[in-house]
Amino acid sequence: MATSVLLACGLNEQKLPGFVHISEESNVDGSFLISCILGQRLRISNAGTLLVCLQHHYQHYFNAGMRLGYNTNIFQGKTLGVIDVLSDMAGEGLASKWLRNSEGQTLTEQLVEDIRAQVESNYASRNSYTVLIDNLSILFNLGASKLQVQQFCQDLAALAKERENLTVITKLSNSDIYQLTDNNVAKLGQVRIQVLRLKSGVFREVDGKLLIERVLEEGNYACEETRKEVLYKVNDRNVKVFAPGEIGVKV
Amino acid sequence: MTSFRKRTVQKPIRGTRTSPHTAQVITSSGNPSLDVVIGGGLPMGSICLIEEDRFMTHAKVLAKYFLAEGVISKQEIFLGSLDDIPAEMLRRLPKPLTELETEVEQRQEQGQEAGGLRIAWRYNDLPLVNTEHATAKIGHHFNLMEQMDSMMLYYANTTMWDDSQKDIVIAAEFSQDSSPTTPSLEQQPVEDAPPIPGEETAAEEKTPPQDENSANNNNNNNNSSSVTSSTKTGSQESQSQIFHNPRYGGLLNDIQQLLRDESFVAGTKKNLCRICLTSLGSPLWYDDHFGEDLIKFLTLLMASVRNCNSVCLITMPMHLIAKYDASLVPKIRQLVDYAIELESFAGSERETHPAFKEYSGLLHLHKMSALNTLAVHMPDTTDLAFKLRRKKFVIEKFHLPPELQESSAKPDNCISGLLSNSNATASLDF
Repeated sequence: MATSVLLACGLNEQKLPGFVHISEESNVDGSFLISCILGQRLRISNAGTLLVCLQHHYQHYFNAGMRLGYNTNIFQGKTLGVIDVLSDMAGEGLASKWLRNSEGQTLTEQLVEDIRAQVESNYASRNSYTVLIDNLSILFNLGASKLQVQQFCQDLAALAKERENLTVITKLSNSDIYQLTDNNVAKLGQVRIQVLRLKSGVFREVDGKLLIERVLEEGNYACEETRKEVLYKVNDRNVKVFAPGEIGVKV
Repeated sequence: MTSFRKRTVQKPIRGTRTSPHTAQVITSSGNPSLDVVIGGGLPMGSICLIEEDRFMTHAKVLAKYFLAEGVISKQEIFLGSLDDIPAEMLRRLPKPLTELETEVEQRQEQGQEAGGLRIAWRYNDLPLVNTEHATAKIGHHFNLMEQMDSMMLYYANTTMWDDSQKDIVIAAEFSQDSSPTTPSLEQQPVEDAPPIPGEETAAEEKTPPQDENSANNNNNNNNSSSVTSSTKTGSQESQSQIFHNPRYGGLLNDIQQLLRDESFVAGTKKNLCRICLTSLGSPLWYDDHFGEDLIKFLTLLMASVRNCNSVCLITMPMHLIAKYDASLVPKIRQLVDYAIELESFAGSERETHPAFKEYSGLLHLHKMSALNTLAVHMPDTTDLAFKLRRKKFVIEKFHLPPELQESSAKPDNCISGLLSNSNATASLDF
């Protein structure tokens, strides 16, 4: 289903790096990666996952998960926790807590607090814990400043450092527009996955390109980096990856 | 005790069906050829952005199709605009064709196509666009030459928004003597169009106290209600905290109030709400925080639309927005599920060019995102063109005419970009 793309990204393991950042270029949809990672984490026994829905509702991930062969509803409330910001805003309208600075707290501060509370209550009883944030650019849309988003990510990275088996995975859309924030957030982690469109145009058999950059952990001097490029195609029920040059025009 | 359970098939919402490809509930956009391009129809909870052409003619036609389909399918309609007069726009919706008329029209078209090609006649069998999904029975055909019967509009559930607050404020400021309940633009009679029956009652209903919530007031005689932002005094404070421009808050508040109706709760399958916002982001929306407010509005609209049984069609003058701030364009496209640009030939050198004489413009698919599924439907080709005929708006695969005698002598910059293999010095040889 999604094993090949996770293998290519180096995320098909029980123990994940502390902080992983996914950069999504404009006009490219990388939300399939969130669905793939979510499915992989849910399949590991006693691994907790927290999904923070900023771009899509929880229902989207449920439906996409069904296509990939897993049912999120079975895990919800057990190993899967959900903070559905979008649903809250839709339900409560303009009075939603995410739109008001209650008690002087900004949106990002409230979100960090909620994530921290979920981690506190679930981390101890799980072998590992993963926090998935599906789109940081929505925070900008809702009025957060660059500094607030950067602080938000640093708080999450600090949370990951505090606990051994905690992983934070973030995704940022329009990374070409928010280039500064994108680079700064990527620097917080060991793995950066860039979802890029094909520069040559639209191709029926390939949707885009994944550029995976990984910092090699060599003690305190982690300066060496590996880069890998794969092409991907999102099908109805799976995601396929190809090495560059593997796909050609069929005559 | 038996484990047998009678299978109960839930009745689908009027005007919707389940897509066999994505298993999503989809509804027609109103235009059959646009439905084919986007994979059968708009998925429930999706937002379709039509990027307006320079003269705003073609985008409005698509908006009218979208609204007319809602009227015919007896769905709830919300129409909001600052540039257009919503009531007038509703009056000018195209007339639906009967099944017999549709069949006759299709036969005529087939006859024309059969007599069209004499050399490469085998191409006659190929569809103009990918029609493998076109057999599904949602959506209707409309005649743009004629207007919809006013009785159909009489029974339609419509809510209109045109920020009538501005009129009331102006009335209060400049004419203290006049009544505070100055009729809004949408209630002013249009000279050349027949009035909607019962519109007078709608006007009368606006005279009661302003604190009455008119957004959910859909059980009127004519089932139409006009919403003014001034009626939401309770929520004005919260709106002003969130948006700098109060119009966004007013519009969003009205949409959210309408969508809170229990018939649109996701999973209930009672009814569908069609939200149509025309010329959103036009210069009438400009202020100092235009970009910030627009993006925030679209984010909150996306949250609301996805959370219930609704679909949304927005038309935006993207060429103007790009001039205001180029970075807004990808941000806006990221917040919608379908971004379709209409590039009209009107006013450009392509208008008179023989290569494009068949078409009114090009259609660019900028974004099609997978909502509630993993993969998105992609049409056979993304080289699409549209033509506005007398009676209908058609989207087709873009192709150049087989022989370009005029351009063979001097290849033109216009088509050289479109021809991938530009050996255009010699005319094409079959």
